[in-house]
Amino acid sequence: MENSIKIHQGAVVCTECDLKGDITIGKNTVVHPKAQIIAEAGPIIIGENNLIEEQAAIVNKFPASQESTGNATVMIIGNNNVFEVDCHSEALKIGDQNVLESKCLVGRKVELTNGCIVGAHCRLVSEECLPENTVIYGDNCSRRQQADRPPPQTLQIDFLTKVLPNYHHLYKPNLKD
Amino acid sequence: MNSLTMLYEGRNLISEKPVVVIDIGRAYTKCGFAGESAPRCIIPSEFLCKSTGASKKVFDYETRDQLYQNFVEFGHILFFKYLLVTPKDRKVVIVESLLNPSLERDTLAQVLFSYYELSSVCMVPSHMVSLYTLAVPTALVLDIGYKEAVLIPVVENTPVLHAYQALALAGEAVELNLRKLLESQCKEEEQFYLKAKPLPNSTVEDIKVRGCFVTKLDRAQMIQASVKEPSVSAPTPPPDLPYPLGGDRSITIPGTSRELAYEVLFELDNDLMSIATMILDAILKCPLDTRVSLAENILLIGGTSMALGLKSRLQQELLDLLVTPQYIKKLALKKFCFHNPPAKENYVAWLGGAIMGATNSIVKRSVTREDYSKVPKIPDWADLSFNCNDGVKRG
Amino acid sequence: MAFLMYGDPKVKYLCSCGSMKPISRIYFCRHCMKIKCGFCVSHEVDLHYCSNCLENLPSTEARLKKNRCGYCFDCPSCQISLNTRAVSQAVPNPDDPSKMLSKKSYYLVCAFCRWTSREASIPDQNVANGGWPEIDCPNSKRVAELVDHYQEISLQEKDEEERKKKYQVRPSYFHYAEKYGLSAALAKKRMGGTPQRETRTQQSALVPAVASEEVEELSDSVFIEQLELNKVTTIKQRLASPEIQPTVVSQLYPLHKSLLVKRSLRCRDCEHNVSKPEFNPSSTKFKIQLSAFYHVPDVKFLTCEPVFIGKRSELIITVCNPTQHQSSFKMHPFELNLGAKGSGDAEESAPGLKLCLPECARDAQFKINGTIKLPTTEFQLLPRDDTAEFDDSNKGPTFNDDPKVVVWRRGNKIALRMAVSPDADAEGVLSIGFVIEYSYVNTMTTLEKKEPQKVKLKTHILLRPGPIFKSSQ
Repeated sequence: MENSIKIHQGAVVCTECDLKGDITIGKNTVVHPKAQIIAEAGPIIIGENNLIEEQAAIVNKFPASQESTGNATVMIIGNNNVFEVDCHSEALKIGDQNVLESKCLVGRKVELTNGCIVGAHCRLVSEECLPENTVIYGDNCSRRQQADRPPPQTLQIDFLTKVLPNYHHLYKPNLKD
Repeated sequence: MNSLTMLYEGRNLISEKPVVVIDIGRAYTKCGFAGESAPRCIIPSEFLCKSTGASKKVFDYETRDQLYQNFVEFGHILFFKYLLVTPKDRKVVIVESLLNPSLERDTLAQVLFSYYELSSVCMVPSHMVSLYTLAVPTALVLDIGYKEAVLIPVVENTPVLHAYQALALAGEAVELNLRKLLESQCKEEEQFYLKAKPLPNSTVEDIKVRGCFVTKLDRAQMIQASVKEPSVSAPTPPPDLPYPLGGDRSITIPGTSRELAYEVLFELDNDLMSIATMILDAILKCPLDTRVSLAENILLIGGTSMALGLKSRLQQELLDLLVTPQYIKKLALKKFCFHNPPAKENYVAWLGGAIMGATNSIVKRSVTREDYSKVPKIPDWADLSFNCNDGVKRG
Repeated sequence: MAFLMYGDPKVKYLCSCGSMKPISRIYFCRHCMKIKCGFCVSHEVDLHYCSNCLENLPSTEARLKKNRCGYCFDCPSCQISLNTRAVSQAVPNPDDPSKMLSKKSYYLVCAFCRWTSREASIPDQNVANGGWPEIDCPNSKRVAELVDHYQEISLQEKDEEERKKKYQVRPSYFHYAEKYGLSAALAKKRMGGTPQRETRTQQSALVPAVASEEVEELSDSVFIEQLELNKVTTIKQRLASPEIQPTVVSQLYPLHKSLLVKRSLRCRDCEHNVSKPEFNPSSTKFKIQLSAFYHVPDVKFLTCEPVFIGKRSELIITVCNPTQHQSSFKMHPFELNLGAKGSGDAEESAPGLKLCLPECARDAQFKINGTIKLPTTEFQLLPRDDTAEFDDSNKGPTFNDDPKVVVWRRGNKIALRMAVSPDADAEGVLSIGFVIEYSYVNTMTTLEKKEPQKVKLKTHILLRPGPIFKSSQ
């Protein structure tokens, strides 16, 4: 699998993260070391201002039943999302301002719209499109509707953009705006 | 206004120890203190079994000893987790159904006196004590709980026991009916899943409470007619309800299941009995002069009677049944009136017990620990040693 | 140590009420010298405290506040503690409209399900603690009226009964007539006539409830509108606030956090405390802690060979002396007929109040299906010495131990070797037992005996080494 990584200006992508396949990373996105972005079954396009923490995995792979027979599918991730530590996302379409908390698992057939929060350790593998501002929490993945979206983590992203280059090697951005 | 003083409520002096009022139902237990307007907690009648780690229902027993142990464990939860009082030397009011098995009453009394060392226990019948919330002397009290629906008319503050009616048509019957409907009416792939891995009871209860309702009489009759004769078309069902089951999958509750789950309470079964006929049969068994006042004072209590649309459907059914050949010659009633108690239906009986517990009337009517230590029996209407009228106290 | 808490413990002790419990769950009452367990002691509420702010509340205050903390709240949607968050707002300064003051306003938020107090339409507060508006219970006034009404009726009843019982004593005025030389009539007049009957105060004007013929009909929107499941409350959320029981999520209101209690345990026979926690809610220590672990020899398994039917297997157990005195112990065979139902001395005078452990629970635990060959000698154990591990010199009394029985001896512990064999028809898990007779020095001083006494105590122990295998041939 060839690696084709396009990084926009302003994105902070550490070299210790695991990138495979055709990946586009948007402006001001921060990718921590040990994050995994694997684009086996098609390209992954990540938007702006996202925060992908350590051990987070964004994987675009064919489901076990369709090994490399299906057509290439594009995985699109919007802006201002947060992928917390050790979360695992295979969802093909993720909108804006979503939060995937630690150790959660989001399956391929789920579609996250805007403002959704998948709680820690929740396994969401059903085939559905979550309405906006849904919060999934608890043992049984109980749901509720929130009134407004989670705020974007601009403060954190600014801090990381300043501090990470001091301690890690970064990929050079190769796409001009 | 100081927000802390708003928390204070109750008619008890600070120096007195307030009376504890407990209503242990088959599905939920209501417990709290006398004089307050609501129980402190309404919790499921279950506890965590220490040896297996699974939750166990209090009334899930095979021998008397197991029931004793269940009551001890459950009492621990009630006293030390929710009521937060020392049970020793307390007065307790137990609200119970008159049709409870004597074994359960006796075992509960034994647990309360010998294990928890309470100072006195007063067992009050739930139907009669519910009238304390209304201050009305005569009413027809129908308790639709989980295991069964029990109706006992109360005339001049006395339960008319010979006119009792009891049917196993309550919360559990609705849940079983809902399961059956889901297994037959869901989509194909979901049916397969439901049969392989049946839904847990808590999920079915949740679907019943949030998604189902009691439909109107005319619609129910049309649906029944369309089942018998395919030419008659059924009315359009309510919309389907997608219901997520954990994070794995979701099932769609078909609209027909939502509408028909509660029908089991109103369908006339083989004996031509339903919740509505219970009321009419009970009225028939009561003396003639009380019939009108009973029909105009119907009180519904119990958790299942809080279902959406149940009261209005019951009224429609009663008026409809009045003109059937079964009742038209026997009953000359014109209207049925329902009470609105100052409490949610699922704790009306508890509230009655709480009002009674705050008065002096329990002093005379309780069994104290000294009395129980001499004669280990609680007065029981079914036990002749307490019931004979010749003034001699036996037992 | 986890083996004592989870799963089925392998070594159980017999409590005086008849139940078998591991050593971590039993207490030792020093006054009546008996083993007690959680079932046969009486529990009392000692102390109320809030689990969130660890504030200690005296019992009267706890009762006033309905056993809820005044400052901490629980999320109505998931019942987890709510946190207070501050939000700064730029508000024009009332004195000088051109300058902006940053004012902090607070709202409650749940970290788990992200419910906020703004969803219940509660305005943000200016104070971090308290100030949150309360909901009135809608029916409290009516219930208070009903209680008053019935209290009056019950007092009337009481009066009537007393009137019937009491023999009406006619007041006699003869002694007045004698004393003052007046006639009876004049004496009566002087006393002010016959005592008036107490007049009952006017009955409360309580309006009894009126049943209504009109019943709320099911609205037709149920048949047309799509039900949004996320907007309807679940049963658990409804029952968390019994008075209101909201059906719609927007009506959920934060609940005051429930308090927790610390319990003190008391032996039923001698009424002495067996366990009493400390007053400070954040401290986990005890004022009185009479756990059996500190007084009764602790028997543990070291190894056990796999058990086959018809064969003898070797079992090694350790016995540890937890006390500060040198003690000796001896092992006797298990006595199957324990006879005593419940506490040893039955209360003959109060047959109804006898505390009993259900028979089935007891019998199931006593099934012995093997034999164990016990050593007959008495063993001495050194007292517990915490400094022994730092003491390099091996000083200390030496004991003449039979090397076939005693595997090793270290300080206050000893390892013993025994042979076990299952019964011919045994199945499942091997259960064997023995009685350990140990010497105990009672350091409690009473009025009669000032010196610490040495007593011999017996305890039954049940062992479960492991499953029984059928013979491999």
